[in-house]
Amino acid sequence: MGSLSINQVTKSFGDTEVLKGINIDVQNGEFIILVGPSGCGKSTLMNMIAGLESVTSGTLEMDGRDVTHVSPKDRDIAMVFQSYALYPTMNVARNISFGLEMRGVDKAERERVVADVAALLQIDHLLDRKPSQLSGGQRQRVAMGRALARSPEVFLFDEPLSNLDAKLRVEMRTEIKKLHKRLGTTIVYVTHDQIEAMTLADRIAVMKDGILQQLGTPAEIYDDPANQFVAGFMGSPPMNFIRVDTCDGGDIEVEIGGQTHRLTLPCSPGIAASNQREVILGIRPEMITQPKPENTQGIAASMDFDVIEPMGADTMAIGEWNGQTLMARLSPEAGQCAGANTAIQLDISKCVAFDTANGDRIR
Amino acid sequence: MTNSSFTWQRGLIYTILLAFAALYLVPLYVMLTTSLKDIEEIRQGNLLALPDNPTLYAWTKAWSSACTGSECEGLAPFFWNSVRIVVPAVVISTIVGALNGYALAKWRFRGSEMLFGALLFGCFIPFQVILLPMARLLATLGLANTVTGLVLVHVIYGVAFTTLFFRNFYVSVPTELVKAAQLDGAGFFAIFRHIFLPISLPIFTVTLIWQFTQIWNDFLFGVVYSGPGTQPITVALNNLVNTSMGGKEYNVDMAAAIIAALPTLVIYVLAGKYFVRGLTAGAVKG
Amino acid sequence: MSSQRRPSGSLERLLPKIVLAPTTLAMVVCMYGFIVWTGALSFTKSRMLPQWDFTGFDQYERLFNNPRWDVALSNLAIFGVLFIAISLVLGLALAIFLDQKIRGEGAIRTIYLYPMAVSFVVTGTAWKWILNPGLGLEKLVRDMGFTDFEFRWLVEQDMAIYTIVIAAVWQSSGFVMAMFLAGLRGIDDSLIKAAQIDGASPTQAYWHVILPILRPAFFSAIVILSHIAIKSFDLVQALTGGGPGYSSDLPANFMYTFAFNRAQMGVGAASAMIMLFGVLAILVPYLYSELRGSNRD
Repeated sequence: MGSLSINQVTKSFGDTEVLKGINIDVQNGEFIILVGPSGCGKSTLMNMIAGLESVTSGTLEMDGRDVTHVSPKDRDIAMVFQSYALYPTMNVARNISFGLEMRGVDKAERERVVADVAALLQIDHLLDRKPSQLSGGQRQRVAMGRALARSPEVFLFDEPLSNLDAKLRVEMRTEIKKLHKRLGTTIVYVTHDQIEAMTLADRIAVMKDGILQQLGTPAEIYDDPANQFVAGFMGSPPMNFIRVDTCDGGDIEVEIGGQTHRLTLPCSPGIAASNQREVILGIRPEMITQPKPENTQGIAASMDFDVIEPMGADTMAIGEWNGQTLMARLSPEAGQCAGANTAIQLDISKCVAFDTANGDRIR
Repeated sequence: MTNSSFTWQRGLIYTILLAFAALYLVPLYVMLTTSLKDIEEIRQGNLLALPDNPTLYAWTKAWSSACTGSECEGLAPFFWNSVRIVVPAVVISTIVGALNGYALAKWRFRGSEMLFGALLFGCFIPFQVILLPMARLLATLGLANTVTGLVLVHVIYGVAFTTLFFRNFYVSVPTELVKAAQLDGAGFFAIFRHIFLPISLPIFTVTLIWQFTQIWNDFLFGVVYSGPGTQPITVALNNLVNTSMGGKEYNVDMAAAIIAALPTLVIYVLAGKYFVRGLTAGAVKG
Repeated sequence: MSSQRRPSGSLERLLPKIVLAPTTLAMVVCMYGFIVWTGALSFTKSRMLPQWDFTGFDQYERLFNNPRWDVALSNLAIFGVLFIAISLVLGLALAIFLDQKIRGEGAIRTIYLYPMAVSFVVTGTAWKWILNPGLGLEKLVRDMGFTDFEFRWLVEQDMAIYTIVIAAVWQSSGFVMAMFLAGLRGIDDSLIKAAQIDGASPTQAYWHVILPILRPAFFSAIVILSHIAIKSFDLVQALTGGGPGYSSDLPANFMYTFAFNRAQMGVGAASAMIMLFGVLAILVPYLYSELRGSNRD
């Protein structure tokens, strides 16, 4: 069993509070990702789960057992580090089995585990090499092998892919996902890469400034962000934010291509209730497209695009609403002839609005 | 820069460099040739002349029968005194320094940086300021004029340096290795033994050489804390040179000086690279 | 650190401190404690044995009224300035020359540095023979035909201290060379090329571009050399024995003589404290800047 419960955990270094009361419950077998900009406290939180850093207040429980003050080796946790942290003087086999050796597992058993893990990760042929003789991807596999060898209850991954080149990163990402499917072990994974978070996680915990901003499935985080920070952090290219005026009944008014449009959003009742004269409209680039006849809900408009950025599958086109820059996602064909006065279609079913003062979501 | 002036300048540089090399070598050359001459030839000939009839007389005398104060047993007993002082002092101070450096670099705690700063400072204090109280302490412990006492003194004041060396070396080892090993279930000593020790050969070499040179060449502690039977070779050499029984035997002095310098010179020739690294590490970095 | 309960691993947490404890104890007692002890002693009437009748600054007064201490201090000034200046200039010049892609650089470097492996006592013994008036350098030059040549520094009151400078430079300049060479190796070659394209001669390029970059190496070298100078003891003992008379004494020799041979512990302690303050005056600014610079790792 590998459930993990983080209760009101805080961390202070002297006077600076880097974690301000984090609560996360991780189910057994869940793949949870801590994501946020650097300095948000995600790595500190991970080190605390590992027991490498002390907890200032609050508790950590694994399977209902309080492990707040238990030393790392007694937590039944394994970790894959960003730098891999392979022991430079040991060969791959010993790197993988070192944890078992320290726990007094006998030699025959260790050899069996090494063979199993090596087969699983396809590193059988590397067992006699030293880490310095391995490529980046191979080191990554060995680091995972070391974690797997002990078959712990919880795996911790600390930005494990950030030292790999782009192609390898995608490959290893898939591999980690497969591995999780096969083993079904709980994984806590830290990254600053929101694509990794979206693709891998069962649930994502978005953090900023030592505070948990939102905890939810990738779809919830993407479509239903708790605040402007989460909305802006997840998604690439990011969500467009446009300052707009509100009208009676919570509708908004926005000037697109020289024409003023009055739009009724799903959250218009909320905007009306909030009595704000201005709100920040959040609209993802893929909601602004070339006209799609099959979408009958779409709102037709026209826009002037200044810059066209073909990306292969899509073309990003940059223009203005209310004098503020925003990005639309067009099909390559539509992108080719985009420019001044281009017909577009808006899908406002997933538009969101935020408070101008504090970025909170208005529902 | 034309090609001809280029070679002309390089010629000058080579000349200067070689001239200085010769200058640095002259004292060694003079010591060696003098030690192989007999006293008559020294009186007649000049400093730079090669010996006419090389003889090992001065060497045998310096080793086994020259007078160092009241006894006349040569340098041999003092050479072994130095060995008996140097070996344990070097080994102990290096081991302690390795553990200290490891703890200070990778197991920081509140005050550990201050402790390190205080130790670093200890590398620089002039030892005159501790000579008197240390003499009292050794007397109190019953270690005055003993080899053990000298070993103790060298360990205490050598540990500051060895700790500095190891700490600066271990600081550059990624801390994630320690974390990984902790999760693998290894403790303080297991991590040292399995992760740090295997990568420490260079720094052990540097430290051992540094400590060996320092302690073998020490004169101050030797002259202050040793007694008649426990003097190290540097003190005995000084006594030998300053004991004049009859005529001054420069050839014996030179043979004795070479004998006293030989162990460190041999190490320098064999492992000069590490010696230089020790000098610069001990000197430059804080 | 909040310490509520640490069922397992509490001993483990203490291990680093336990390992460091003996060193800390030795350091507190044998360095800082002893400094305090010597400091206290310098305010007492102690002669043969320590005694604790405090007499204020009497010993310091006695120290500074002692002509021998005067000689030791002015010798230190002469020795320090010459030793440091010559070693720096020589070391820098040799380093720059050696940095010109010299064939056999390794061998030459080895030769420049070997004196550093030898003890000051050996150095003193060797130079004592080379510089001795009867049979050494003087005779060599006379034999070459210059029959009036005189070189008797070793036995001249005014000149003996300069023989110590010669021997000390011989021993330490190679080390300064090594420090500068390490500094030069860290400098990008293209800087000199850029300066030359800008129209600077090689000399100008070194003077305006390279030397300013070597500034930290200068600081380190000066600190280390002054530290060697203040602590110099064995070289004097072996080369001149402080003589003729006490004309080539340095403070370290003064301290040794008074504390251990003359049974004037109080004066010896006072002179040791002055030496400590001398070192501190050089060291504190240096360590301060070094630690401030390297704290960010």
